[in-house]
Amino acid sequence: MARECHQIRLGEVNRVINELLLQIAEWLYATGGSRAIEESFYLYNWIEATHVITLMLSLGMLVFIDLRMLGLAMPGVSAVKISERLNIPMMIGFAIMFITGLLLFYAKPTYTIQSIWFRIKMVLLLVAFVNAVVFNKRLKASASSWEFEPKAPRNLRISAALSLVLWAGVVMTGRLIAYDWFHCYRELPAWLGAAAGCVAD
Amino acid sequence: MELLPFFEWAETSFLGYIGKTYGGVYATFGQSVHLMSLAVLGGSVLVTDLRLLGVIMKDVPSEIVADQAHKWFRIALGFMLATGIFMAAAVAQRMYYNDFFWAKMSALLVGIIFVFAIKRPLLKGNHADIQPWLLKLVAVASILVWFSVAASGRWIGFS
Repeated sequence: MARECHQIRLGEVNRVINELLLQIAEWLYATGGSRAIEESFYLYNWIEATHVITLMLSLGMLVFIDLRMLGLAMPGVSAVKISERLNIPMMIGFAIMFITGLLLFYAKPTYTIQSIWFRIKMVLLLVAFVNAVVFNKRLKASASSWEFEPKAPRNLRISAALSLVLWAGVVMTGRLIAYDWFHCYRELPAWLGAAAGCVAD
Repeated sequence: MELLPFFEWAETSFLGYIGKTYGGVYATFGQSVHLMSLAVLGGSVLVTDLRLLGVIMKDVPSEIVADQAHKWFRIALGFMLATGIFMAAAVAQRMYYNDFFWAKMSALLVGIIFVFAIKRPLLKGNHADIQPWLLKLVAVASILVWFSVAASGRWIGFS
């Protein structure tokens, strides 16, 4: 009985959050800037192209940092040096991706907020961010004892491998946002509808 | 040479059938792996070129950076070609009439020739023996070529 009550309360909280998110998305959709971006063929597509092409800078640098930790790239070069030197271009890339990502969301807020792929992508981004913070902390704490070794210690290798997997997931779910296989206007199981943020009319 | 029959055949081939019939396979193993490979390929190009331009890793020998990045460039290029062929086969006839597809193929051909006939042979030796302006010119040309490949590739989907 208590468990049932708890589940009903969770379901209610989820419904309220989804309604609120949809209201915010509808408000954004009604603004002039949102309409201007979505309705401009060149503006929208160039923002999207920039978002995708910047993968080469942001993830490109991140991949080389992670590969160095795993001993698969530049094993003879100090791991700290690689990490520090590639960090700035990587962050510039992520900043561009963040800005273009916000603009893409702003252009199609109601569609995107109810995309299960977008929601999974946001969760993966959050986990990847936490993993990056942990990775950097561990790197700074231990680097002086191993930085010239071909491979990083086990805990850093795990973080690096996890980072590669998480970012592969971010790329994949990001690409899948374009597909509406599980969108709210389709017949979905209740749990999937709730996860995608579907709100009853 | 008339290429349309080849594109018609590609769409009816096994690869074309899989990509056309199973949207999930097309989007995940095709498009998503293509994008992941783009990140690795782009990273290997930028790591080398930004080093040659003296923007990053100035305290790491450029020979080491170029050698190591080239290894990953080849791997990424292999994945990009495999997933690219898979994706193109599924929509081959549409690709035949798409100007950006041909722009991308041209840029890709130039990029591959540039890397394997010019950039790699040049960077294999000691970089101190090469004129600095030539290293910088190669780096700028490389960035422009691969940016063109990526941009024209993304634009295929918009046209």
